[in-house]
Amino acid sequence: MKRITFLTGYYGSGKTEIALNLALAKKVDYLVDLDVINPYFRSREAEKMLSKNGTVCISSDLENGAYADLPYLSKKIFLPFREADTRSIFDLGGNDLGARIMRQFDEEDKADVDLFLVVNVFREETKDEASIIRVIREIEGASGFKVTGIINNTNLLKETTYDEIYFGEAIISEVAKKCDIPIAFTSIYEEIHDPEKKVAGEPLILKLYFRKSWY
Amino acid sequence: MGRILMKGNEAIAVAAIRGGIDAFFGYPITPQNEIPEYLSKHLLANGKAFVQAESEVAAINMVYGAAGAGARVMTSSSSPGIALKQEGISYLCGAQLPAVIVSVMRGGPGLGGIQPSQADYYQATRGGGNGDYNLIVFGPETIQETVDIMKEAFAIADQYRNPVLVLVDGLIGQMMESIDLDRPVKERNLPPKDYATTGTRNHPGRHIINSLYLDPLELENHNKKLQQKYALVKAQETRYETVDLEDADYVIVAYGTMARIVRSAMETLKKLGIKVGMIRPITIWPYPEAAFDLIKADCKGILCTEMSAGQMLDDVLIANNGRHKVAFYGRMGGMVPDPEEIVAAIKNFSDWVVK
Repeated sequence: MKRITFLTGYYGSGKTEIALNLALAKKVDYLVDLDVINPYFRSREAEKMLSKNGTVCISSDLENGAYADLPYLSKKIFLPFREADTRSIFDLGGNDLGARIMRQFDEEDKADVDLFLVVNVFREETKDEASIIRVIREIEGASGFKVTGIINNTNLLKETTYDEIYFGEAIISEVAKKCDIPIAFTSIYEEIHDPEKKVAGEPLILKLYFRKSWY
Repeated sequence: MGRILMKGNEAIAVAAIRGGIDAFFGYPITPQNEIPEYLSKHLLANGKAFVQAESEVAAINMVYGAAGAGARVMTSSSSPGIALKQEGISYLCGAQLPAVIVSVMRGGPGLGGIQPSQADYYQATRGGGNGDYNLIVFGPETIQETVDIMKEAFAIADQYRNPVLVLVDGLIGQMMESIDLDRPVKERNLPPKDYATTGTRNHPGRHIINSLYLDPLELENHNKKLQQKYALVKAQETRYETVDLEDADYVIVAYGTMARIVRSAMETLKKLGIKVGMIRPITIWPYPEAAFDLIKADCKGILCTEMSAGQMLDDVLIANNGRHKVAFYGRMGGMVPDPEEIVAAIKNFSDWVVK
């Protein structure tokens, strides 16, 4: 994981939960919420929890920005590029549309930047090799950045077992081989995590912050 | 593996396609935008119609036109957008046209906010349009149930020649759930669409889609026909679920997202040794009044819970008919209660009694 990591993926792939968990696990300085697509379940809703853990959340700095779906972002989103001694995670909105926002970082030094694609093969649009490769191409085209890693986030929420994780891993491994992009992380719910079971890439033990007990 | 993960709005769109949708007319509004987004892509690619109208009013009148021509038509919106469609909805009922309307509720009144709410219960069941009409209204609890109802909704609308409204809150629209799209749907014997305006080459004489009856006796007779139809819907389509109702000392009534919260609260209450049951209306019109006859005579009280100020409460009071004490607990404006709040409301039942 480089100094600055962008998370992208098809909408509903789990980017925001991954962003929160990665930010906490890696103790980054900034979590930048660039999601101007979703009205609910955005990183900015976890601002207080993040700040307790030493991570500053940058998003909209409008009053009530957490409860509005305005395409407005704070100019502070450039801070991670200016402050060379900080580490950051950027949480993009879904699809190529959400990734297009990366165009404003065109002039920045790309050597410091990772772009990770979050994939859940139980989402219709990334269910097989061909569709995942299509999403990679669309996002690379829209963002102007190369995808440098894949995160296997294959899950069926509460029904997830290692069978689902490995089912996803098999498909994503083929994509990784064909596109020459490594699997950077595999996410595993903390309830089912078994350290004996090997997964591709670094395991990311996941706690669901947006999921209430009664969902 | 038959299950896939879907966002509620997206699942509604997919289920509409499974249900045989021919045309969608709508206008964007948060938090339901993924419905038209999905349908715009998939309907046009399959030779069906999708129009983003210039307004909600235009969209509902397009629904009227296409439904009159015999198509399976749908529109979707959220609270203030559904408000704008009320005139057209009354006309659809008056002209006896089938259509499927999806309402993804957000906080109100006015522009309100974009967080989830249930404050359009009156709008759905009492209507903002004119005249003696009813919509067939479903208030599903999960994305799976929403999908199952959406798949059936076009057939129900066709059977009764009446709009069906599927009422969910923004949370069901925006959350993810694993679902099975292939669950079977009840087979229905549908009447031919002999009213449809498909051109005089296809039917003898002119077909006219209309809700204007100037002669009052004629209009009364038309209304009698509508009322007979609504009585038939009440008899045939009322749906509800009961949970642990038989020996419940307290009965909680909840629909949609609130029912999910109540289920969680019930687990806690059971651990505390409190016998609690639930009535969950699946149709909110017709309202499942019969479920209230299953409550035991010495029940200590009924708690109606909503993400609104007490709208379904009216139907609970009507169904209860003075038999038991009725209390109400609700949150408004997009605030979603925690299960602990429901637990507390049952523990302090007398503080919340309204009648």
